Amino acid sequence: MTSPIEIPLSRRSFLKWSGAATAAAAVGGKAPVLYALTPDESNKTSVKPESRYSVCGMCLNACGLVARVENGVITKLDPNQKFLKSRGMLCARGNAGIQQLYDPDRLKYPLLRKGERGEGKWERISWDQALDLAAAKMSEIAKKYTRCGVMFTPGSDSQSLFVHWFAEVFGSYNVTTHESSCLLSRNRAYLDTFGEVPFADILHTKYIIIVGANPFEAIITPDTIDLMTAKKNGCKIVVLDPRFTKTAGLAHEWHPVRPGTDMAFFLALCQVITSEKLYNETYAQEKLSGLEQLTEHVRQYSPEWAEKECEIPAADIRRIARELSAAAPTAIVYPGRRTSDYVNSTQIRRSMAIVNALLGNWDTPGGLLAARQVGLSGPELPEAPFYDDNPENRLDKGMAHMMFEEEGAFKHMRDAIIAQKPYPVKGWFIYRYNPLQSAANRQKTIEMIKQLDFVVTVDIAMSDTAWMSDLVLPAPSVLERQDPASGLQGSAACACVVARDPVVPALFESRPIFEILKGLAGRMKLAEYFDFTMEQYRKQQFKLLPDAARAIQEDGVYYNPSKLYGIYEGKIYKTLSKKIELYNERYAREGVDPLPVYQPPKPNPVNQFRLVVGRNAYFTHCTTQNNALLNELMPDNSLWMHPMAAKKLGLKDGERIEVTSKAGKGELSVSLNNGIREDTVYMASGFGVLSKGLTRIYGKGACIAELIEDYADAISGNMAMHETFIQVARKVAV
Amino acid sequence: MNKQLAMVIDSSACIDCKACTLACKVENNVPEGKWRNWVKRSEPDFNKPDWMDHATFVHFQPGGCMHCEVPTCVQACPTGATYKNEKDGAVKVDPKLCIGCGSCIPACPYGARYLHPAKHIVDKCDYCEKRRERGELPACVITCPTKARVFGDINDPKSDAALLLKKNQSVRVINKESDTKPNMYYLSTTAPLNWPVKARMPDAIQLWKLTGPLIWGIVGLNALGVLLMLGKQLLMNDKAPETDESHEETRQS
Repeated sequence: MTSPIEIPLSRRSFLKWSGAATAAAAVGGKAPVLYALTPDESNKTSVKPESRYSVCGMCLNACGLVARVENGVITKLDPNQKFLKSRGMLCARGNAGIQQLYDPDRLKYPLLRKGERGEGKWERISWDQALDLAAAKMSEIAKKYTRCGVMFTPGSDSQSLFVHWFAEVFGSYNVTTHESSCLLSRNRAYLDTFGEVPFADILHTKYIIIVGANPFEAIITPDTIDLMTAKKNGCKIVVLDPRFTKTAGLAHEWHPVRPGTDMAFFLALCQVITSEKLYNETYAQEKLSGLEQLTEHVRQYSPEWAEKECEIPAADIRRIARELSAAAPTAIVYPGRRTSDYVNSTQIRRSMAIVNALLGNWDTPGGLLAARQVGLSGPELPEAPFYDDNPENRLDKGMAHMMFEEEGAFKHMRDAIIAQKPYPVKGWFIYRYNPLQSAANRQKTIEMIKQLDFVVTVDIAMSDTAWMSDLVLPAPSVLERQDPASGLQGSAACACVVARDPVVPALFESRPIFEILKGLAGRMKLAEYFDFTMEQYRKQQFKLLPDAARAIQEDGVYYNPSKLYGIYEGKIYKTLSKKIELYNERYAREGVDPLPVYQPPKPNPVNQFRLVVGRNAYFTHCTTQNNALLNELMPDNSLWMHPMAAKKLGLKDGERIEVTSKAGKGELSVSLNNGIREDTVYMASGFGVLSKGLTRIYGKGACIAELIEDYADAISGNMAMHETFIQVARKVAV
Repeated sequence: MNKQLAMVIDSSACIDCKACTLACKVENNVPEGKWRNWVKRSEPDFNKPDWMDHATFVHFQPGGCMHCEVPTCVQACPTGATYKNEKDGAVKVDPKLCIGCGSCIPACPYGARYLHPAKHIVDKCDYCEKRRERGELPACVITCPTKARVFGDINDPKSDAALLLKKNQSVRVINKESDTKPNMYYLSTTAPLNWPVKARMPDAIQLWKLTGPLIWGIVGLNALGVLLMLGKQLLMNDKAPETDESHEETRQS
């Protein structure tokens, strides 16, 4: 059964091959045979295709889909037309989910590192060997360095909750999630203003300001679709971005704001709104706390002052403030998603939240909405054991003013591990998270890994992080999994529940993380904490939703017809003052600016450019660049640069360049683009990979994680990924 | 009235997410490097001082085979493989008749056709015929986030496509020298408009157009000769030896 095939197979030829239980050799062509379990298509008779509901897992949106199954093979993914959250659509990535399932680059069986870390020499081992080894290594570290000596990064899919639970029963508080490279500063800012992280009712709004977000490209459901519907219904869209994104291109106004100065714009809006009393006074009296302090504080921030900072004309700022107030409360400053941009991101987002507060849009149509009731129950699990030899706190405790304990801060955690202070961490358990591509300063992550005795990664493909690991375990895609139920917030569209069942059986030897953790728990005397099946777990989740299971069976989704607007009527806000806090009382107590104080961004060093990053509609972070279907849309990344800037450097469109920052360097081509400021450059994420297991993109483009320096937001510990300046030079042929 | 399947596209709703192009690719097994549909883009002129005054700076325009009323591809096909289906107005390629000569490819002003590298025949959009047989919408239509593509029989006044067309001013994107009367309608704000190329007919067909009348004349004369011979045979009722007549094959286009 051995096969010498080393060429990457296309999706279709892969399907054809799979029947004969042969497939492409996995990593670097060194691995022996593997088995593809999709049925043989060669003898197929035409059978009526079956349709099965599932939920997309290509990003975090979880959009409903219908899989077409023919002779046991999924041949097409279509949107679930009954799925309100996604407005019955499936994006390019969703359509490419089929390729993730049948990708020859998938991890197929457990692999044990043989050579040096990152050398790419692997040995195929059995699951028993793999789990025995992982359990032994983790127990050994726990014994030597306490249980907090193992760090867990649980990823963010619908089974990640079991990794959190495993970390808890194993006894480590050192859990860091994807969120500290994503949206923690936004969450912090809105929690510290409204007491809750809101969802924007874009569908019904009449005026929206979008800053530091790109919803027409970084697709969020239902926001992306609702924004277009709102636009058709007459909503005005104003975009501030140093880059002419597709959102900017489809807006009514685009202002190429100077990077890092968004707060100046919003403080000036506050100045106009307060000085001209454009807010609803009754509302302000009743709901807002700190209006006087704010009015006083923003007196210094006139539109004329702001113009000098953000380079948006004062007249425009004043006009926008008036237009926005006139549209209030059906007006929104979009809270955004990834806000891992600056060292003062929480305060920047606070300035945006404060404008929302002044608009009086909380909990009202066309404004910011509170989370709706979904109704899932938390299953009863045994109490996690207490380990009295553990240290007092998590490793990164106190490294940011107000960190989220359950999320941590990867940047700070990494610094602490490198320093081995306050205590050593020697093991790392990773589920579907890839900091070697997504976390600023890749060299530091490598340095951290050097401090570790054991690194195990569970993923679908050989990510860069898997590539640098000691043990790599193959996970199935969502189409092969049974998952617990998840509650989804769909803004005005719905509050709903989804739960996946396998559309096709798991391919190769892949195992869901739930099974892996069960296997580990059994080997570490923790079996009692995982003594349940997925069915039992789900049944408990549905305790208060008697109709949910059937609705999911019949429609692929259950909707909770819960209250949408007016959830806060007669209720207090979850803040110290019990009101919406313009002036944050807790910040004042803890020595943090209670009102956002403007700090100008660092100026560009001579002949250097500020690097900004951001998504497009084809890539989810760094996970889909190697997907053959999506890769065809963008096979490589390039550096966007303004033609005037390029002219000064003597660079022509498409030329190979070398980019250098204090953190690292890379090589890629330059693409001249009028849609970016002259002082700013942009590149897409997910290229310049280390892993040779990603055969389509290995050797292509440059890596953002390699270039970006590791800064963090002072309040939330969120990574700050727009604080890096880079040098650009023509690549000299050697 | 006969069915005429068509697409009516509100391209101002397109966000260029490429869901339609990938949905099509998977549904129709379109090989790597080839596409059955596309999204075009209008570029803003950043040098114009007033470019920001336009309501929409960038316009994305989804497209694909336009299943034209006057399909130049059909005219260019030497075997009759490409034809306009009378039942639904779709322009189709019969894989059994296609010889992969590629004559139709430059004859399409829209670049909607490609030579399938493995099948060695020409391939293009068929409005997802297999899906339609199951009562489903074409893959590109159903997957679209903003539902920019609306599909249906525009001769049925109750269809979504016909209603959208009736309610709005629309345009067809054509090359003035090759107006194929496409069955893809865009709401009137669409851009870009100037991209279709002049249909390039195969040399043989161009030659045919020039020499056609002459050849018809020769054929006519030949036929007359045959008739005369036949008449002569009938009239004379003679046991003349069988003659080896040449048979001119002509093809109705």
